[in-house]
Amino acid sequence: MSAYRTTHQAVGSVTDASSAGQPTGLRPATGGIPFLRLCRVELRKQLDTRAGVWLLVAIALVNCGFIALTLFTADAAALTWTSLSQSASLGQLLLLPLIGVMAATSEWSARTALTTFTLEPRRTRVNLAKLASAGALGLIVMAVTFAVSAVLNLVGIVWQGGDGSWALDWGVVAGSGLALVLLVWQGVAFGLALLSTPVAIVAYLALPTVWTVLTLTIESLRGPAEWLDVNQTLSVLMMGAMTADDWPRLAVSLLVWLAVPLAFGLWRTARREP
Amino acid sequence: MDHMITAEHLTKRYRSRVAVDDVSFTASPGRVTGFLGPNGAGKSTTMRMLCGLASPTAGSSTVLGVPFRALENPGRHVGVLLDAAAQHNGRTGRESLSISAQLMNLPTRRVEEVLELVGLTPSEGGTRIRGYSLGMRQRLGLAAALLGDPEVLILDEPANGLDPAGIRWMRGLLTSFAAAGGTVLLSSHLLLEVEAVADDLVIIGQGRVLAQGSAAELLAVPGTQVQSLDDDRLGAALNAAGFDVATTGAGITTSATVDDVGRIALGAAIVVTDLRPAANAGLEELFFTMTAQHGREDVSV
Repeated sequence: MSAYRTTHQAVGSVTDASSAGQPTGLRPATGGIPFLRLCRVELRKQLDTRAGVWLLVAIALVNCGFIALTLFTADAAALTWTSLSQSASLGQLLLLPLIGVMAATSEWSARTALTTFTLEPRRTRVNLAKLASAGALGLIVMAVTFAVSAVLNLVGIVWQGGDGSWALDWGVVAGSGLALVLLVWQGVAFGLALLSTPVAIVAYLALPTVWTVLTLTIESLRGPAEWLDVNQTLSVLMMGAMTADDWPRLAVSLLVWLAVPLAFGLWRTARREP
Repeated sequence: MDHMITAEHLTKRYRSRVAVDDVSFTASPGRVTGFLGPNGAGKSTTMRMLCGLASPTAGSSTVLGVPFRALENPGRHVGVLLDAAAQHNGRTGRESLSISAQLMNLPTRRVEEVLELVGLTPSEGGTRIRGYSLGMRQRLGLAAALLGDPEVLILDEPANGLDPAGIRWMRGLLTSFAAAGGTVLLSSHLLLEVEAVADDLVIIGQGRVLAQGSAAELLAVPGTQVQSLDDDRLGAALNAAGFDVATTGAGITTSATVDDVGRIALGAAIVVTDLRPAANAGLEELFFTMTAQHGREDVSV
């Protein structure tokens, strides 16, 4: 061995505090990473940053605001579980997709993609876990909203003498749940396609609205708008009043606003160097 | 000997620029392989290709016998630190490690173990990474690399931002990792850093491998340095015996071995005052010789 080797062995013995290479007692690795575990980790990553926490807080505040507004101003006869939970869902419809956007973009803006993709090199699998976990988060938030609304329905009965009906319109419940998941996925898709938090958020918020405004002002766009305006097709879905005509319209609008950006985003992130 | 890392004819072209040009090397278990080159030589790009983050334009590489992307739960086999700055500022150091630990299915105690191993205190672990110094980020990055108890470490400029004590600590860490049978590939543009720790060397400049082999081999400089009361006569005697001789400030340097010089001096009855193997020019000279022709001098020592 060279003189260098001898020198650094001497140094090594001085700094013997390091125990790299010592037995760690860890069980040997077996198999790959199950998809469910990947989803749980992705969900954790959406909620363990300040931005994630504050978005959830903002959702709670907006929901509280609307639910209070309903409790104080609505007719007693209109105070039902369904009406309260509907007014309490606005926060997540507006803001939860932004968590989806950031789930996709923060990997690239904070460059954590470097770690993420060395721990799971199958990038599309990671992106699918982002979609699954963000969608699940939407459903969890929605379930919480329904639970809180149930409590407030009791408050309405006791305090405002509200109607307090416990009847749920399952078409509305299923439609709102699906719409929320689709909006969150749209957020993830915009994030993956644009890979920049501010650009993706602005695009997600502004583009569909700009299109809606255009179709309202320009006569000739009204026909195609029925097929291409995702705000319109999703609001029909949320009202739980889907007819046979509405499903293909929803599908076409989602193709444009969800499937195309998602496909481009998956393609782009699979190739890009983090 | 099994090679834990192999690069075969790796080439990476970005538009017209060739970042890595036909790079082949191996890294073996129980040894620290130093990947040495000036800034922009292609070290990082090569390591990104090894870790499956960049696709080579041509060539291939394997880690533990398979392409990196084919590894199952790679964090349990290969510890990677490519850029200590690539961490989410809004997370605490502990949370950042916990995410990786959860993904690798490691017990939570392992996070505390590696924090301690890299010298981050529990309260530092609970601080958001935004407030970390470069040295702390580097330690956190090393903690992340060691987390899964890997057999192979791939570290890009791990000494960056560490103070001298930190650099010494890291040397000890890498040496004991290799001594326990692990494979280390570490890149650096800091000559002294690599010189002190590497068993094998791969020297790269402008995307090409300029030299590779064991450090002992690459650093061995044959020859002898000698001083005597009559250097002129000793030089002539050595010349007569067929050895090369050069006069230096402090006596003469010759291609003869120490034994030969002693024997010749004795035969010529010359009093020798200083006799030793030629000073090991070291990696630095080798490095400069190898890279100077490529015109990149921005090397800090």
